[in-house]
Amino acid sequence: MDTALYESLKNAGTDVGAALERVMGNETLFLRLLKKFSADTNFEELKKALSEGETETAFAKSHSLKGMTGNLSMTALYELFSRQTEFLRGGDLSSGASLMSEIEPLYEKIRDIVSTI
Amino acid sequence: MDPIKKPDSGNLHLPRTILIIDDDELNRMILSNIFSDTYSILEAENGEVGIELLVRELTDIAAILLDVMMPVTDGIRFLERIRELGWNGGIPVFLITAESDTSVLSRAYALGVMDTIAKPVIPYMVRKRVDSVVELFMARKSLRSRVEEQQQQINEQARRIIDLNQGMIEALSTAVEFRSAESGSHVRRIHDITKLLLLKTELGVGMSYETIEMIATSAIMHDIGKIAIPDAILNKPGRLTSEEFEIMKTHTVRGGEFLERIPQLRELPGFKYAHDIALQHHERYDGRGYPNGLKGDEIPIWSQVVSLADVYDALVNERVYKRAYSFDEAVKMINNGECGCFGPALLAAFKVAEPEMRALYSENPSEEK
Repeated sequence: MDTALYESLKNAGTDVGAALERVMGNETLFLRLLKKFSADTNFEELKKALSEGETETAFAKSHSLKGMTGNLSMTALYELFSRQTEFLRGGDLSSGASLMSEIEPLYEKIRDIVSTI
Repeated sequence: MDPIKKPDSGNLHLPRTILIIDDDELNRMILSNIFSDTYSILEAENGEVGIELLVRELTDIAAILLDVMMPVTDGIRFLERIRELGWNGGIPVFLITAESDTSVLSRAYALGVMDTIAKPVIPYMVRKRVDSVVELFMARKSLRSRVEEQQQQINEQARRIIDLNQGMIEALSTAVEFRSAESGSHVRRIHDITKLLLLKTELGVGMSYETIEMIATSAIMHDIGKIAIPDAILNKPGRLTSEEFEIMKTHTVRGGEFLERIPQLRELPGFKYAHDIALQHHERYDGRGYPNGLKGDEIPIWSQVVSLADVYDALVNERVYKRAYSFDEAVKMINNGECGCFGPALLAAFKVAEPEMRALYSENPSEEK
């Protein structure tokens, strides 16, 4: 068990215990999921869609990120993406975009942690 | 083996594959991990691929785990499509969704989903809910297949009883015919010719197959009354005296009486046919037959048919009192009224069916002829 990694994830708002439960204690699978998260491009695509005013694409990307962070029990991020998804579903692009100031630093932080795997 | 663990499935094919349809790879990995210890897993990244896999692996799929929001073909569209393809809920579908939109959920339920499971999933809950439903469906399926199996056994028994009945009737009739040196094949041919004339020509229009089969079986017993005729008359090589012929003619009335006296026969749905045929198979269309001198269509069609079948078979085979005629001779003699007298409808049907009647004789070349 990689305690240092888990500790950093916890500090970045991840419920590691819940995440491990979701994979039924299969740590290898958990690490594979984290690697998938780290290689995922949805976040860059979300930023692009928001800047180009593509509300529908932004919604799809945000929705995917919500699902992914939910599965990994990245609770803080998950809640932010959930709020963003609802704004975008309702067509409110600017509120969705303004959430990025909270989302981006947290997302980058977690991505940095995970990139060490 | 623990008896409560697994229901005995016999040879029944039970599906053990879970089809996961979700565009999110992480979700598929997590769901797959939950089930992969006891199920095979198939994964599809959208509804379109899901349909392909479902059609290909149909009989192996125990349950479908379905995401709602997907590109190409989403969850709702997937449900609509498989309904169009004939899915009727026989494979349980679970909606795995973060969707809180109740209009989507109610649409999904209306389309026949079994249950919805919220994302992010809680593994033991997903597992428990899917397992319960899969077991229920399997138990139902194995019960249904057992009922079908039992139904087959019942049908088989019914068929054997019918065969036995038919066999008894044939045995009895053959025993009677045997006294006049007839073989069992005469009885069989009367059956076959009668059936052929009713099944393949206008004569049987409006009769069910069961009725035709009943008439054909009844035809077997047409000469049953000969049991009451003394050997000396029955097997007399020369010409019968008029007294002897009068006695010979009574085999018709005696046949009818005989059938009336056997309660099991009297209660058969085909009794009326058997009785008519035994009594009337020597009546003639011109009214010059016996015992009652019935004329034209006073003689029921089944009696007319058996009468013709009997004459035809007698002509083309050798008898103590005559040689065997060729098929062509027999046809001529029947048509020009040299032997018997038949109605125009029956003769028309005879013309249609005669080639096939003729073929019946070549099927058993070792017998008679």
